[in-house]
Amino acid sequence: MLKVRDLNVFYGGIHALRGIDITVRKGEIVTIIGSNGAGKSSMLNAISGVVKYQGLIEYEGKPLPTQAHSVVKQGICQVPEGRVIFANLTVHENLKMGAYLRNDAKGIAADFERVYELFPRLKEREKQIAGTLSGGEQQMLAMGRGLMSSPELILLDEPSLGLAPLLINTIFEIIKEIKAMGKTLLLVEQNAFKALSVADYAYVLEQGVISAEGKASDLAKDPKIQEAYLGKK
Amino acid sequence: MSVFLQQLINGLSLGSIYALMAVGYSLVYSILNFSNFAHGSVIMLGAYFGFFAMTLLPLPFVGALVIAALGCGIVAIIVERVAYKPLRKRNAPGLYFIIAAMGGSIFLENLVIATIGPTFKTYPEIFKSTAFTIGSVSINKLDLIMFLIASVSLLILVFILEKTKIGLAIRASSYSSRGATLMGVNVDRVVLVIFLIGGVLAGLAGMMFGIRFTVYPTIGVITNKSFIAAVFGGLGSLPGAVIGSVILGLVETFAAGYVASNWRDFIAFALLIFVLVIKPSGLMGKITEDKA
Repeated sequence: MLKVRDLNVFYGGIHALRGIDITVRKGEIVTIIGSNGAGKSSMLNAISGVVKYQGLIEYEGKPLPTQAHSVVKQGICQVPEGRVIFANLTVHENLKMGAYLRNDAKGIAADFERVYELFPRLKEREKQIAGTLSGGEQQMLAMGRGLMSSPELILLDEPSLGLAPLLINTIFEIIKEIKAMGKTLLLVEQNAFKALSVADYAYVLEQGVISAEGKASDLAKDPKIQEAYLGKK
Repeated sequence: MSVFLQQLINGLSLGSIYALMAVGYSLVYSILNFSNFAHGSVIMLGAYFGFFAMTLLPLPFVGALVIAALGCGIVAIIVERVAYKPLRKRNAPGLYFIIAAMGGSIFLENLVIATIGPTFKTYPEIFKSTAFTIGSVSINKLDLIMFLIASVSLLILVFILEKTKIGLAIRASSYSSRGATLMGVNVDRVVLVIFLIGGVLAGLAGMMFGIRFTVYPTIGVITNKSFIAAVFGGLGSLPGAVIGSVILGLVETFAAGYVASNWRDFIAFALLIFVLVIKPSGLMGKITEDKA
């Protein structure tokens, strides 16, 4: 579904991503784990078209447009790190923004229903200004907003960031439900343990290069990965 | 009492024109985070567009108003495309935008001085009887019409922002243009729309300002007061821009009426500084992330 070949990203003189190759197959959860500053977010931002890159990104066999708004049109949406919800708009308006490029009123209404079903908390706070939500609710809103674009592929950036452990569990349950809805997910996480527990395939990103890859269940058993990312000795 | 009512009406009328101008500053600031000082020159051009539409073509008041609004909308878009878009593409720091804006402003002023000339021009008479009286208060018809046009325009703007899709995109972009981009919003188009809106309102305001006073190339210096009103109300906040403008209009007319007209600007600016010292973000300023 998504093929990234020899992806390079530069920030001024800094070579943030050096020749990344990844593949995402339809219906899977693929995760990219790695420590802070490894280049995980840069990769999602390159796919989304918000940072410039060199290399090839193919989606459904065709090169992906490099303009951010055209990428969304292709059925790829990003749920960004730090949520980036519109704090000045209501919960309902935030979700409406997610459906910005759609014109099918019926489909939008149906997706509102689905999102409110998936996140009952958002339904309760429908008319509330999004800036007043708690961190967990904002994460739910960001994910719901992403779903409103009716995407095929969801790029999920650090959904667990800054959340309490109990909420992290909830969020990862929802990630599994989104997969069950038939969506494909590319998940970037620092919380490697959680990420590997839901993913089908995983890549380890270290200082801009892929240092390991494999089935998520295999990587979770790998002693080196365990030591470096799962806190086991 | 009648003096008070008289000044109140004059102040509301002047304030509503400032509001039309201030909204343009605020809209641009809310999305691009810089103060578009070329806006004053676009307002100045509005005064000229209206003047020439009425004297050369000659069109009636309403027709000239439409010409001024459309003309300024187009000029504002040209300024954006020529002066700001190249900077946006390069992610230039805010200071560069302000310098480009000042350059644009000086360019437009001198273009008018070179082509039309620096002389003052006065609009032809628009209404035969200019005032009518209610009790002891005489209301200038023009003041009333200006107030109505400004109010209706601002209500239309609120409708666009609150009820339409592009309005939602404008509000979302004002909070986070990155977030809006990730939702599929073409922020370039949003920028175009806010310059168009700001330009159209500038055209209306410029023509009414020209009718009320006179038309000359550096009129933008006075219209910069509306920028001050926008800062006073809280840059980036539209209700703030309107409230700041109305307060500025009222303070000016009351200062002129009760103190002396040459104290008018002194008192208005003293109030501005006072408010900013107490509340630097302005009366209704939004909490800013990283504003230049």
